[in-house]
Amino acid sequence: MMNTENKLQVRDLTISFRTSNGKVQAVRGINFELKKGETLAIVGESGSGKSVTSKAILGILAGNSIVEGGEIIYDGKDLLKISEDEFHKIRGDKIAMIFQDPMSSLNPIVKIGRQLTEAMLLKGKARQRESRVHFNSMLELLRRSMIKAIAEGDSEKAAELTEKCKKFDKFEYKHLALESKYNEAHEAASEASFDLENIIFELSKNAAKDLKYRLDKIKSLALKSIHTYVVNEKAEELKQLVSAVSKAAAEGKKSDEYGKLIDVLTKIKDILSEAVAFDAPNFFSMGYYLTYSGEELPDMSVEELNKFLRKYLDDNFMLDFIANAKEGIIYSANESYREKEEAIAFLRRHHSVFEKETLDKKESYAALKSLAKEVGESIDKLEIVKDSLAYTFASGLKTEIDSYFNAIAKNEKEKKRFEKESAKFERLAAKGKAPDWKVVPASITDLELKKKNIIRQIERLCDHYEEKLAARATRDYDVETVAMIDYLKDQASGVVTKVTKTMAKNRAIKLMEEVGIPEPRKRYNQYPFEFSGGMRQRIVIAIALAANPDILICDEPTTALDVTIQSQILELINRFKEQRHLSVIFITHDLGVVANMADRVAVMYAGKIVEYGTSEDVFYHAAHPYTWALLSSMPDLDTNEKLDAIPGTPPNMIYPPVGDAFAARNKYAMKIDFELQPPMFKISDTHYAATWLLHPDAPKIDPPKTVTDRIERMKQRRGGTDAE
Amino acid sequence: MQNNEEVLLKVDHLCQYFKMGASELKAVDDVSFDIKKGEVFGLVGESGCGKTTTGRSIIKIYDITSGDIFFKGVRIGAGKRSYINKIKSAREEYGKKIAEEKDPSKKKQLAEELKGIISEQRNNIKAAKFDQKNCDKEYSAKLVEEIKAKYLSQIEKAEGEEKQKLLKEYKNELRKAKNTKLVTQIQMIFQDPIASLDPRMTVREIISEGLIIQGERDKAVIDEKVYEMLELVGLVREHASRYPHEFSGGQRQRIGVARSIIMKPELIIADEPVSALDVSIQAQVINLLNDLREKFGLTILFIAHDLSVVKYFSDRIGVMYFGKMVELASSDELFKNPLHPYTKSLLSAIPLPDPEYEKQRKRIVYNPLESHDYSTFKPEMHEVAPGHFVYCSEPELEKYRLEIK
Repeated sequence: MMNTENKLQVRDLTISFRTSNGKVQAVRGINFELKKGETLAIVGESGSGKSVTSKAILGILAGNSIVEGGEIIYDGKDLLKISEDEFHKIRGDKIAMIFQDPMSSLNPIVKIGRQLTEAMLLKGKARQRESRVHFNSMLELLRRSMIKAIAEGDSEKAAELTEKCKKFDKFEYKHLALESKYNEAHEAASEASFDLENIIFELSKNAAKDLKYRLDKIKSLALKSIHTYVVNEKAEELKQLVSAVSKAAAEGKKSDEYGKLIDVLTKIKDILSEAVAFDAPNFFSMGYYLTYSGEELPDMSVEELNKFLRKYLDDNFMLDFIANAKEGIIYSANESYREKEEAIAFLRRHHSVFEKETLDKKESYAALKSLAKEVGESIDKLEIVKDSLAYTFASGLKTEIDSYFNAIAKNEKEKKRFEKESAKFERLAAKGKAPDWKVVPASITDLELKKKNIIRQIERLCDHYEEKLAARATRDYDVETVAMIDYLKDQASGVVTKVTKTMAKNRAIKLMEEVGIPEPRKRYNQYPFEFSGGMRQRIVIAIALAANPDILICDEPTTALDVTIQSQILELINRFKEQRHLSVIFITHDLGVVANMADRVAVMYAGKIVEYGTSEDVFYHAAHPYTWALLSSMPDLDTNEKLDAIPGTPPNMIYPPVGDAFAARNKYAMKIDFELQPPMFKISDTHYAATWLLHPDAPKIDPPKTVTDRIERMKQRRGGTDAE
Repeated sequence: MQNNEEVLLKVDHLCQYFKMGASELKAVDDVSFDIKKGEVFGLVGESGCGKTTTGRSIIKIYDITSGDIFFKGVRIGAGKRSYINKIKSAREEYGKKIAEEKDPSKKKQLAEELKGIISEQRNNIKAAKFDQKNCDKEYSAKLVEEIKAKYLSQIEKAEGEEKQKLLKEYKNELRKAKNTKLVTQIQMIFQDPIASLDPRMTVREIISEGLIIQGERDKAVIDEKVYEMLELVGLVREHASRYPHEFSGGQRQRIGVARSIIMKPELIIADEPVSALDVSIQAQVINLLNDLREKFGLTILFIAHDLSVVKYFSDRIGVMYFGKMVELASSDELFKNPLHPYTKSLLSAIPLPDPEYEKQRKRIVYNPLESHDYSTFKPEMHEVAPGHFVYCSEPELEKYRLEIK
């Protein structure tokens, strides 16, 4: 299943800031995961740690921040531990961000066009380099395991396999060159036919602007679309029509009667839209045919040609190659299964080191090293979908061990402080004075718990591996082989796609059009101050999307915008999410927007996630008092009564409250809320909330009336719309 | 709902153009509306449609291009563009007529008529210029007269110490009256509570600035008033000596509110006062504004883009689109019977905290080119139902009338 693939995992993330007044604990141990193609909304007030979390994911925390613990796993890497150089490749490229304030996130002295294309040009170069590396290394890995699987010791056969890999490499590039030419023509045709539709409509209403310029553009696009597989038979006719455009336009301008021009344009449009609908030939097999057959393409229709080429490729190369690759993959998988079994046994044997009464520092770290090595060997490098648990095992275990030893030191310090303070307090009390301060109880970290965490970490990997071993029989190697070939194709296309300045400009203008900026060509050369707030935010979105990211973090992208623009921008983000299978982290405090965007919602308060679930869970079955308060504090269209404002302000995070952070503002707070932090209670498989109200011993409290009323109204409205 | 029919602010054919190189940007184009005493008038529209400009024109931050603004029946803003245009068109019209006319006596008569028109419009311009400049002076002169009438007779009668006291009081009041402007009765609350407070002034200085400009010199009086205002907006006295950066966003906006109400205004122009605030704080500020409104009988021009807040807070709502007022109705009526396509599109864009509904919600796209055909019938403000105005042409009016029933 694609949608269960975790793109990003955040575990026990804890971040503080050093300030002159003390340490502000901004994020206090949060856990969540982001699945592929889903939107996770993080809701909360300012200061609840939403933005800090997102900045940590992007590695742009302020200089005074301290990452106290936890991990952010992306693509098998822990983002909190990788070097700045590695981060450069991820930031903006794989993970992009839309910032809250479009005013300050654009450079005021650089033109919009330059800011848009900057990343494209840089990334184009970087991607070419990188794709080459990825392609080569993957092909090399494949080649090696193929040789090991099929031709162990047989040098002749090994040479043959090597030759095959080289062959694949070569015609793959030919295919891309062909395809990029076709794509250019095809895109030109579709763009022109789209433009034509607009221009014809405007002409018929007599409201066309910039006519000459736009016609010039269409003319050049139409000529570009002449290609063997796009506009071929009607190429001559198209050329004639194009040359007739200027004359018709000039006549139309004189008489203010555009009938003739509309006729010509409609004809062009018909040709182009017909051409757009044609089937594309299979360039992959064509590339092979042209490279190795040494003959011209046979003259036949696209459909037949495709069949012919496909057969030629399959007979001569592909079936064979796939069979070989499959064997290689199976070999590598089996190899890694063997290693995994060994690793499980090794882990099970050695985790007794961490079961002792008190752990020995030296021994622990030595064990860590050997375990990490064993697990590292057991990873199947030929897997396209990386096993993030295995990749991050070493760093995760190290964090746990570190935190154990840190806790020992901290506990001692805390004990000493407590003794000293209570002695002082007793001394004063003995003197008969009543001090106006209290002794803060020693916060002792539970070492047993930490130890359990370490063992759990190991157990988790063991279980994970066992699951993998159990699923061994059901693995479909055919699918995996195809995925491997696709991956190689993908990487190769990265090598061939060269981003030139004009290309970047064209793409930028297209992006600007896509995000809804009128007259993008004119706007391209303007400065940010010449744009209104909504337009500026669109530019920021265009910049974020220019790099084709994997994960998009939106930090209150619409807070500063008005409803219509907000709605447009949300639709835009949703559309791109669908088109590009983006995973989105959406940070906001507007619950209406959350309802629109989110698949799942995490409600944050004072650096902790207090409620976590699908959007239906959180909106219809909210369980935490803070979520209730959020829901009831904003008027909706039917609200008439006085608003339930949340009293007070969020707590000062230099001195985070001992118990539930929301207790002081919560009218349902119980005694225990002020004493102990509530754990996450599970409500359903997808829905969790951290409030003592869910404890079996807690009194049953219904959500406030405004919330239940509102849910009731929603139901009615839904019923109404369903009936229609 | 307020039943009071007294019109506090009347905006009549307001135009506000800005120069943009050779061309002109019509930020506000022929907008008219009334605000009755004690009501909250909401102004909504997308960014750049002229809501804020309208608010600023009313408070005289800009010199308006054309149209009139009446506050409590006094013309406080007047533009001269419309008069100039009248002169121009009259000149053209009569120029043609005179050229065509052959009879010299009639020619002379026409020239006389033209002269009459021009001088009339010139007088109008003079009056507009005068009002624009001198409305405050006249108002303060009136106040001075009132105070003189009140005190002078008393002072004559009084003797000894009492006379001294009265004299002092009289001088004080006189100074204040001379400095009073009519426009101070209109106050503004700004959108961004961070940018609108001077970081180098304490809260006391910020709140009392208006009083000091007006001529209040007695420290005790000022302090007393500042404390009163602080308590009114839910802050405490100790906050007076702090600086803005020591406050949270919601508290800063409260300071902004305190600054505006210390002048005892009758009209408050709230320019997106809650847009920059957190949800929970927004509710606090809205509740505060509601309380103050009840307490002082304030009239509020509420400019915002969050429609659910506007719906909750306003009695009547005006919808603006590209400098034009396209629809004006009571808030319930507007949400029940939106008529103008732009209003419909606006209402369809409101996100609600209801995932199921959100998944079904379809935004209506407004494209003025497709929605209207104004080539034959020119659009105007028409009253479709009592109190419900729509900017439309005659055929559209018929359509809307049918729609409403």
